[in-house]
Amino acid sequence: MAELPDGLVAIVKRDCPTCNLVAPVLATLAADSVPLTVYSQDDPTFPDGVRVVDDRNLQMSFALDLDTVPTLLCVSGGREVARTVGWSRDAWRDITGRADLGETLPEHRPGCGSRTQDPAIAEAHAVATLLPKLHSRRVELGEEEDDAEACFERGWSDGLPVVPPTPARVARMLTGTTRAPDEVVAVVPPDLVECTVEKVAINAVMAGCRPEYLPVVLASVEAACTDEFNMHGLLATTWFSGPLVVVNGPIARAVGMNSGVNAMGQGNRANAAIGRALQLVVRNVGGGRPGEIDRSTLGQPGKYTFCFAEDEAGSPWEPLHVERGFAKSASTVTLFAAEGPRGIIDQLSRTPESLARSFAACLRATTHPKLVLAFDAMLVVSPEHARVFRDAGWTKARLHEELGSLLQIDGSEIVHGAGGIAEGLPEAFAGSTLPKFRDGGLLIVHAGGGAGLFSAIIGGWASGSLGSEAVTVGVGT
Amino acid sequence: MHDIVDLESRGLPSVMIASSEFVDAARVQAAALGADPARVFVAHPIQDRTDEELVALADGAFEEIVRNLTAE
Amino acid sequence: MKSVLLDPTGELAATTTVAPSPRPPSLDGKVVGLLDISKARGNVFLDRIEEHLVGRGVTVRRFAKPTFTKVAPIDLRHEITTQCDVVIEALAD
Repeated sequence: MAELPDGLVAIVKRDCPTCNLVAPVLATLAADSVPLTVYSQDDPTFPDGVRVVDDRNLQMSFALDLDTVPTLLCVSGGREVARTVGWSRDAWRDITGRADLGETLPEHRPGCGSRTQDPAIAEAHAVATLLPKLHSRRVELGEEEDDAEACFERGWSDGLPVVPPTPARVARMLTGTTRAPDEVVAVVPPDLVECTVEKVAINAVMAGCRPEYLPVVLASVEAACTDEFNMHGLLATTWFSGPLVVVNGPIARAVGMNSGVNAMGQGNRANAAIGRALQLVVRNVGGGRPGEIDRSTLGQPGKYTFCFAEDEAGSPWEPLHVERGFAKSASTVTLFAAEGPRGIIDQLSRTPESLARSFAACLRATTHPKLVLAFDAMLVVSPEHARVFRDAGWTKARLHEELGSLLQIDGSEIVHGAGGIAEGLPEAFAGSTLPKFRDGGLLIVHAGGGAGLFSAIIGGWASGSLGSEAVTVGVGT
Repeated sequence: MHDIVDLESRGLPSVMIASSEFVDAARVQAAALGADPARVFVAHPIQDRTDEELVALADGAFEEIVRNLTAE
Repeated sequence: MKSVLLDPTGELAATTTVAPSPRPPSLDGKVVGLLDISKARGNVFLDRIEEHLVGRGVTVRRFAKPTFTKVAPIDLRHEITTQCDVVIEALAD
């Protein structure tokens, strides 16, 4: 970067009425004994009659972090000691020490936006700055290779096309975070590779993310790779589950996520790409692939992507992240080891007691009606069902309590052989009463479209030391 | 070479046999395709060989061909 | 102009070319496809390879491209893929 010259420094552009206004002032200063250096952002012949340095590449403007032109600086010993933006007669007189400056000009006039603030230019600059910081191995494709096919052939895809991760796309993705590209986000199982922000960005590009989604993806990777969530175990199990990302807080709306109609389905780019980016990181960085460590008997389509936002505005209750100890204004991701959702119909219950019984009857059947405690679940209550609880004044805690007592199961129903079914608990439990879910094993969220007296159960996976614990992590920048 | 790369991508262990004239061209073509398929070379020329000579080439190459199709 | 992509993996593997298919431990019980690219004299070579394979008790299927100047037609590639476990293509010169 060129050094700042001593004396007075002005940055202008021809395409700015205030810069044109001060042009004669600059001409006056140029004739002075104090050295004046004028940089022009768009035209080295402006202002006329003054020696101008061409800053069309905006190198000096970016270095000075300008937002306005004209900007006038006083520089001493190569360092900026004073700065003023726009035209203010008093400020300019102050900085220049010329008490008679701009006598015929108005007292002040605001400046215009510096060209460095132009969104396209600012982004191109950010990308150019980031490109040399990308350290991932370069993969040179063959001349005859189609870049979309190349990604399939190298095993980088989940079966669907990915966006080829060119350096420019990755640099652009990295503008979505303030974190440095070489910062380690998490250690990803099963290969236990240190995953950098850059590696997440590459997979986020492939998944189809926009740069603004990257902080959510970073938080998801971080959460998924905690010991508590146990991504390794989740991969290696023959069970159905994959990581579900539930997003809470302002970030959901800011990036345009869907918490309403078809919230768990297709069609929303943020929902689709954020969940997919996490899966691609697990596959590509961690090395977790089906047929290798991923031994799921049947799998489920949510292992392509499973991510939605909770509908907080329409909910009668506190959102999931508040329940789990975060401020309402915080943005978070909660990772849950999820099966695919199954539907609950209840179009007739008008009372919370009746609706809670419907929920309980359906929750009873997760994994198997005769199995208890070992696995967790998530209940997604739709707006029409939530209304029943709202109208009756039931808090979420009240619903939890009701479900807890409804899901006390008589041991004699669930031991081996009961009901003519071999599956179940050892006979020693015949005389006990056991809860379907462990303490904290049932999560409740609110989402969905406004029409439909349906809610959903998303079965979980094993809890405890061999299983997975839901993990909530704050979304940074 | 396109055929071999395609068949490999379908899950079929594949090997191509070419004359020794092909060594450099094969390397360049492999790079162009972003692949590194198995290849065995036999001594050039081919076109004007007698049947006995071609049989001898096949005899000489056979073990190497099998090695390229099987795991150690 | 060759495209450059950034490697999305953990970079544990040495290279990033298209990975070869896993090889079987031996050809016992396998069906070997012999694909003739249809240049002159290649059939003589493949006949001898077939003899060796049959001599080892391996099943052989013969295929031929319509012309060596073009990529094998998709139907032929499907046929080979569904009928064979491994394939040998010969003889380019």
